[in-house]
Amino acid sequence: MMLFLARRTAALVVAVLLASFVVFLIPYVTPGDPVRKIIRSRVAGDAVDDSAVQALTAQLGLQDPLWTQYLRWLWRFASGDMGLSYTSRTPVVDQVLPALWVTLSLVVMTLAMAALIAVILGIAAALNEGRTADKAITAVSQAFIAMPEYWLAPMLVLVFALELSVLPSAGWEGPTSAVLPVAVLALRPASHFTSAVREGMLDALGADHVTAARGRGLSYFHTVRKHVIPNGLLPLTTLAAVWFAGLLGGSVIVEVIFAIPGMGRLLFDGVLNSDIPLAQGAVVVVVGLAVLLTTAADLVHGLLNPQVRMRHA
Amino acid sequence: MREGLIIEDLHLSLRAPAGGSPGSSSGPSARPVLSGVGLTVAPGEFVALVGASGSGKTMTALSVLGLLPPQIRAASGAITLGGTDLLAASGAELNRLRGGRIGMLYQQPKRMFNPRMIIGSHLAEPLKLHRGLRGREARAQAVELLSNAGFEDPERVARAYPHQLSGGMAQRAMLAVAMAGQPELLLADEPTSALDKVLERQILELIDTQRRQHGLGVLYITHDLATVSAFADRVVVMDAGRVQEEGPARSVLGAPQTACARELLEACALTRRRIAVAGEALGLAPSRDILALDGVTKRFAKGRGARPALEDVSLSLREGEILGVLGQSGSGKSTLARLLVGVEAPDRGSISRTLPAGDSKNDGGSASRGVPGTAVQLVFQEPHDAFDPRMKLFASLEAPLLRQGTGAADGRREWIRQAVRDVELDPDLLDRYPSQCSGGQLQRLTIARALLLDPAVLICDEATSALDAVTQRKVLDLLLRLHRDRRLSLIMISHDMNVIRYMSHRVAVLYQGALVELAGTSEFFANPQHGHSKDLVAAARAHPAACSDLAACAHRVLGANVAGGRPGTSRPLELVSAPDA
Repeated sequence: MMLFLARRTAALVVAVLLASFVVFLIPYVTPGDPVRKIIRSRVAGDAVDDSAVQALTAQLGLQDPLWTQYLRWLWRFASGDMGLSYTSRTPVVDQVLPALWVTLSLVVMTLAMAALIAVILGIAAALNEGRTADKAITAVSQAFIAMPEYWLAPMLVLVFALELSVLPSAGWEGPTSAVLPVAVLALRPASHFTSAVREGMLDALGADHVTAARGRGLSYFHTVRKHVIPNGLLPLTTLAAVWFAGLLGGSVIVEVIFAIPGMGRLLFDGVLNSDIPLAQGAVVVVVGLAVLLTTAADLVHGLLNPQVRMRHA
Repeated sequence: MREGLIIEDLHLSLRAPAGGSPGSSSGPSARPVLSGVGLTVAPGEFVALVGASGSGKTMTALSVLGLLPPQIRAASGAITLGGTDLLAASGAELNRLRGGRIGMLYQQPKRMFNPRMIIGSHLAEPLKLHRGLRGREARAQAVELLSNAGFEDPERVARAYPHQLSGGMAQRAMLAVAMAGQPELLLADEPTSALDKVLERQILELIDTQRRQHGLGVLYITHDLATVSAFADRVVVMDAGRVQEEGPARSVLGAPQTACARELLEACALTRRRIAVAGEALGLAPSRDILALDGVTKRFAKGRGARPALEDVSLSLREGEILGVLGQSGSGKSTLARLLVGVEAPDRGSISRTLPAGDSKNDGGSASRGVPGTAVQLVFQEPHDAFDPRMKLFASLEAPLLRQGTGAADGRREWIRQAVRDVELDPDLLDRYPSQCSGGQLQRLTIARALLLDPAVLICDEATSALDAVTQRKVLDLLLRLHRDRRLSLIMISHDMNVIRYMSHRVAVLYQGALVELAGTSEFFANPQHGHSKDLVAAARAHPAACSDLAACAHRVLGANVAGGRPGTSRPLELVSAPDA
């Protein structure tokens, strides 16, 4: 297990470094001179003074070789200094951390909601395979996928915020403000999770050892509870981790529509305003967290499977 | 009150699939699976239920447990156990019966354990359900059950996960689970068909011990008569959903009355016949080596302490020879096959192929003999895995020819149909998908596919292990005929002593990746040298009561066959009585 952990950690570090290097390169590969971009963002007007460009280049250390710049950037980054936002002139860290907290709570609530729906619907569908309940659940969950967030969100706002006035239409204050965003965001994962749980349960139900459990005299429900559900829900752990990682950066539309001050919103603003330090900081944090979560999911999956657990023991 | 298990006039039928195939409503709505099966198992009696695959043995057993697949239902008949009507039992009653009064063993023991639960937890379930034991008491009882199942370290086994057990250990653990509820009846559905002879013997002895100690009735399902003949009190022979023959083991084995009983006997009497040395039979010049391994080592695992899959193996195949390679699982047999075909390269040592020059073929010298990669062909163990399930069989057989760029489409079609006739199948089968064919048919087709490339050497890697005894016998005889007609050299890789003895001129024994013995077949079976070989030969011989019975009846059966001049299979073979008869 220790070797397994070490290997996964090494892979994780490499992945994060690679991602950070790509992020570091963003200003260099986007069209236009970043230095001019910076100056232009600070002083109104199109004319940029060449001496100002040279001064800033020297100040930022841009005449150094690329890898020196990268290491310097990385070192500053690792010590918590993500630079100053061009637009707000405040440290990026101070914007990223609260935003991350908001997004994390949004995503966790979303996944919990999706998993709850999926476990109930997926198990019900699998146990009624081929019957009306199964077909209805499958149809509904497929309809979930077909509803785009940018359509569903305004619709829900129209109904619940404007017509019925029971929920706030935007913002991030108090538990009621989370209801609509979570509902919109949870629909797609819920749908995917449901079919994953259904398939997993069907596989588990068909396993030979389930027949053997019945042969030992276990009742149908005892068998399902003890031998089918634990095995059938396993695929959900990996899938949920993948969605966790995806939603961290993928909640942009919902955050923008509902004006939620999260990572998606931050990224959106950073890119829109060419605020390179802000965008870089947000992307690196999202990517790092995503890699970390995927690794954690692999570890959990391994821990749940004795064969993997012992092979790496 | 009548005792034991009594099955009377049991009819099972397959429900017509709901909303079945419209248009082609051929046949009656419910197809019979069992037609009037009757059998009894008295307490303390060992009854063998024997039949080829598809004869309805397993369905009979499952109907006793009330675990029939949903599309099959009992149409009429009665099953009682000690006076309890099993067909009329409620769900709760059945739950008490299963694992309580009836224990069950299965064909694939490792797949019958929940992979995420230790063995001890599996044992705890019936102990709690049927005997109300919990906690420390249950743990002590579990350990005792495992120890009765022949484990020397029952505590460790109780803590083990299923994947840590070998097939034989898993079956013994399953026996412990089956005995946990102190059943009066043990249903054993081919529990040893996937195991080698040594382990099979061990399991049978354990079951027999339990039978004697607890007065357990045993219904032992198998396709292999020889296996159970030493243990069974009575033998019931099934075919096509009916009981064909029933009687004391001695009389069924000694004087079988029906054709299917004779066929089963003949199939397990493989050991009784051998062929003359190929060189003489084929009238060839003193044979030369066509495949030779010299000091070959192959290592898959990289870590320290990892044993190579094959270590320093030197071995040769003579032209026109059948070489038997004997070894248990993990001995390196399959690695040897992969090296010989050339899909793996040896780490050390060399493999030389001195293949005969191509016979000029009538289609303009495709002469695949000598083309690297086609002169040695492989036949696999699992015929169902050897074909693409989404391709019609014709396409699967045509694929290797297309790669070789051989001939025009019409000629190719006729050639393939001829190859299928050569393996004694109807060419119309080629329009089917693999799932529509039996294992025996598919195995013949893998042989046909291998022969299409006109190989000089055919390697059969456990090619008949997945087949039942009757089909196995037919496929082996087909291989022998091809060997004779086509001057095909064969390497038969198997763990089955009978197959090796039946087929081979020489026997090579692999043990933990090393070649430990190489000798002529009769010499090997008469006087094995290496310790492991001695174990194997001793296990193969260990059917004491059966052997004399079988020898007598086999002579009668086979003698009749040869005298009757059955076409095809038995002709080229020379009948020799076995050394240990």
